[in-house]
Amino acid sequence: MPRWGMVIDLDKCTACQACTVACRAENNVSFAGLNGYRRGRAIFWNTVIGRVEGEFPEVQGIFIPMPCMHCDHPPCVKVCPVGATYQDEEGRVLQRYERCIGCRMCMQACPYNRRYFNWRVQEWPDTFALYRNPDPETQPRPKGVVEKCTFCVQRLRKAREEGRPIGSDYPDGVVPACVETCTGGARYFGDLDDPESIVSRLARSPRAFRLQEELGTEPKVYYLRPGQWEPET
Amino acid sequence: MKPITRRDFLKLGGAGIAGTAAIGAGLRGWPLRAMSAAEREAVTGLEERWVASTCLQCPGGCSILVRVVNGRAVKIEGNPASPNNRGRICPKGQAGLQFLYDPDRIKGPLIQRGERGSDNWEMVSWEEAIRYVAEKLAEIREKDGPHTVIYMNGRNRGVMHHHMGAFFKAYGTPNDVGHGSICEDARPIAHKLTTGWSHYSGYDWENTAYVLSFGGSLLEAWRPTTHNLQMWGIMRRGHPGRRTKIVYIDPRFSVTAAKADEWLPIRPGTDGALAMAIAHVIIKEELYDKQFVAEHAFGFEDWTDEQGVAHMGFKTLALQEKYSPERVAQITDIPAETIVRIAREFATTRPALAAGCRGSSMQTNGVFNSMAIHALNALVGSIDRPGGTMIQYGPPCTPWPEPVLDEVAKQGLAMPRIDYAKTRRHPLGGKAYQDVPDNILKEEPYKINAVFFYYTNPFFSIPDVKRAYEAFMKVPFLVSFSPFMDEATAHCDVVLPDHTYLERWHDDIIYPSIGFPHWSIRQPVVEPLWDTQNAGDTIMQLAREFDRIAGTQTAAAYLDWQTMEDVLKYRARGVWEARRGNIVADTFEEWWQKWLEIGVWTDPPYEFGRWEKALTTPSGKFEFFSQTLKAELEKHANGSMDDYLAELKITARGDEVFMPHYEPPRYVGDEKVYPFHLIHYKVITHAEGRGANTPWLQEILGVHVQEAWDSWVEINPQTAKRLGIEDGDEVWVESPVGRVKTRAKLYPGARPDCVYMPYELGHRRYGRWARGRGAAVNEIVALEEDQMAGTTGWYSTRVRIYRA
Repeated sequence: MPRWGMVIDLDKCTACQACTVACRAENNVSFAGLNGYRRGRAIFWNTVIGRVEGEFPEVQGIFIPMPCMHCDHPPCVKVCPVGATYQDEEGRVLQRYERCIGCRMCMQACPYNRRYFNWRVQEWPDTFALYRNPDPETQPRPKGVVEKCTFCVQRLRKAREEGRPIGSDYPDGVVPACVETCTGGARYFGDLDDPESIVSRLARSPRAFRLQEELGTEPKVYYLRPGQWEPET
Repeated sequence: MKPITRRDFLKLGGAGIAGTAAIGAGLRGWPLRAMSAAEREAVTGLEERWVASTCLQCPGGCSILVRVVNGRAVKIEGNPASPNNRGRICPKGQAGLQFLYDPDRIKGPLIQRGERGSDNWEMVSWEEAIRYVAEKLAEIREKDGPHTVIYMNGRNRGVMHHHMGAFFKAYGTPNDVGHGSICEDARPIAHKLTTGWSHYSGYDWENTAYVLSFGGSLLEAWRPTTHNLQMWGIMRRGHPGRRTKIVYIDPRFSVTAAKADEWLPIRPGTDGALAMAIAHVIIKEELYDKQFVAEHAFGFEDWTDEQGVAHMGFKTLALQEKYSPERVAQITDIPAETIVRIAREFATTRPALAAGCRGSSMQTNGVFNSMAIHALNALVGSIDRPGGTMIQYGPPCTPWPEPVLDEVAKQGLAMPRIDYAKTRRHPLGGKAYQDVPDNILKEEPYKINAVFFYYTNPFFSIPDVKRAYEAFMKVPFLVSFSPFMDEATAHCDVVLPDHTYLERWHDDIIYPSIGFPHWSIRQPVVEPLWDTQNAGDTIMQLAREFDRIAGTQTAAAYLDWQTMEDVLKYRARGVWEARRGNIVADTFEEWWQKWLEIGVWTDPPYEFGRWEKALTTPSGKFEFFSQTLKAELEKHANGSMDDYLAELKITARGDEVFMPHYEPPRYVGDEKVYPFHLIHYKVITHAEGRGANTPWLQEILGVHVQEAWDSWVEINPQTAKRLGIEDGDEVWVESPVGRVKTRAKLYPGARPDCVYMPYELGHRRYGRWARGRGAAVNEIVALEEDQMAGTTGWYSTRVRIYRA
């Protein structure tokens, strides 16, 4: 059984946000508009966090693309009172929308802010309805439930049905939408239980780290920090 | 069409495209049998296919694959068969679905029945709309002459400039005014003056070891966007053990600045001085590529011409004290020791690249800045060398038929242009788009009767934009081809709405970048949604209708073509006959089918050092001393060069004029009243000005400030404190030509003497998500020009800022 993980090389990331738009198109995430956005109600299964700090001219900018971390020890799963959020046998943290009661405990528990509440009925005004992805897993979530990144479960399901390989190890391997479009080639997807997979090898890089590792959540999204080449062990 | 899966494109792409394979550990076995498309369809009940086409959210020409389910486009991906974007696509490309399915599109041909701008449209048939326009054109040609019509055009990709322009040429107007002069024309002009190549430059990012970018924001709006973004990843980790150093020069702390290894926050408009100081150090320390300079450069050493007149060479010029790092540090705000260090690194880390774009070239001194930057490439031998610059080869398409010109057309074409391009006023530029409104108002050189807008919107995109309203509203007849009710279109008399790029036959010849030829197809991925029509078809129908009314032969150049598909087949025949590149076939039909399936014809690799192509100056060398510039200026100077230079607002005199040098930038607005430079910019999510009505992009607008759906003005926190402005305050930004209201964003990356605003917001028309949202920068940008080139000096406006 594979254990899916992702590696994001911050040295190659261009902060272009193609991942964010690709995710919204693939997973039928609509938009919130100005008011919704300002009230924090825009839904981004994937987002790029940006921060510019310092004092001119000594300034630094940091940009971190963030999908769900799909933790091996996911705090969101522990707190869900109704078993709506769970970890599947391939390590993905998923959501059963029909069971979710919208209590948002999971959003409180997630240290990465990677969960979003549907404050309203998602809308596809007029002809926008035509571009919706017909895949069953991606159908719009009802008002009042929490939703999140799935590592594009529908893509992996279809890959298996069609007998196609999965992961960045294959030139034509099926990968989540954010990985497929990643302009800088910064994202990799694959099986962390296969020690020879690209993601496993990159996760062993001296540049590798995970967000808030000290919490013990064991995220399956690894980052590679920018920096000069050094002998890889 | 045979249904194909995305997987097939990898196979079809063929050899030479190693992008995706390079990261893999090699193929491993996969035990399951792939389902055929038919089997999958039977299981899911969905008719699904991937259609190859080409993006048009910017001029980058990225190849795309569109997932089409039951006739609806539901996802866009990059096409792995293209060596341009290699299977990836940027956020603008991803958001193309919201462009196609924009609910505010124009749904059929329109005639304005009320006041202009009153939205009192009547939807008419295509026959009626075209007849209406043809009759007007016939009347104008008869009464005042064909030159009184202007064809203003913008994003002409592939065949479109020639195809649309062919009618206007045969009609007889010299006023084919492209938008290059409000864009980046200074750079092609600088390349022409120094190398003879009159276009943008390709850059071999993939193989370079050191990059100096002057105002060219690789990670935002520079083109081809996705290619540049990919190259960034390759420069960082694409060559084991080597990480290309990227130095970014810009007054603005952009995403590129944040991601670069070093950011030099230069004073706006002084890039030419910095480049000259770098040249000074390289020459003084003898770090330049002596072999390249000896073999392939002209005018480096002092020289004597055929008449025995002695001339200064670039070496003497650059070594002058005024270009020493210490002196230039005072001009640019870049410390002298930094200049020296950067110069040494640049000259000793080979191959190295000096590139420039928007920030350095869209200035009053843009041509000379760009020449100075390009001179750095010559100094380190990076002209047409691996890791250096490239020219762009095109596909061997069948040549165009020449339009038939009758006597009226010949007379019209001989008239001076409305923008005075290539005259004493603007000797180097091929067009001066931003001058058109003023000349219309002054009726100089004559009165204008009609303007056509194709893929361009001067009511939004020129400096001091109110001029457009004043001028164009006085023109008796206005026609737009736009699929969207943008500002220009809303004020037209007739709208002949085009399809969007995902519904039409069109092509794309790559923007200079990868060097080797790359020709991609834009084919309809879905049936047209509305009663719109390919502008290429419309122009042929218009020409034929016009000929019927006027008894002319303007449609002769369109042969027997009925649709753009016919046009593309005509053009493609030449490529098939060349029998090279990734598609070779016995019959043309077979070739055509393969092109539609693969989406791109390309012929790698690039051959470096074809000097007869890459260096086509009078000397056949890189001209540090531009003989072309000297000849052009002398041609118009009427014997008094110094007077002419004063007229062109050039401060240099003598031989320096013809060489890369620093011209101080000019500004509009008294520094005491308007203390700040206004720096405006495009974020990556802008889709180059036609994507404002795209909610997905609006909702992620400025990643560096984490702002969306509205504009902002970035201010240095100390400056803001002094002005009593806090983060989020509503403020007025005021220039000598107007003021706009927006919100202050305190930004540590801001220079204390600059404020920064993003483009694309503040539409007064357009769709529901664009209209009335944020502030339009062009309402406060004043008109200033690089007089010699006829290009816009976009960064010349000074502003003041105060709480609203």
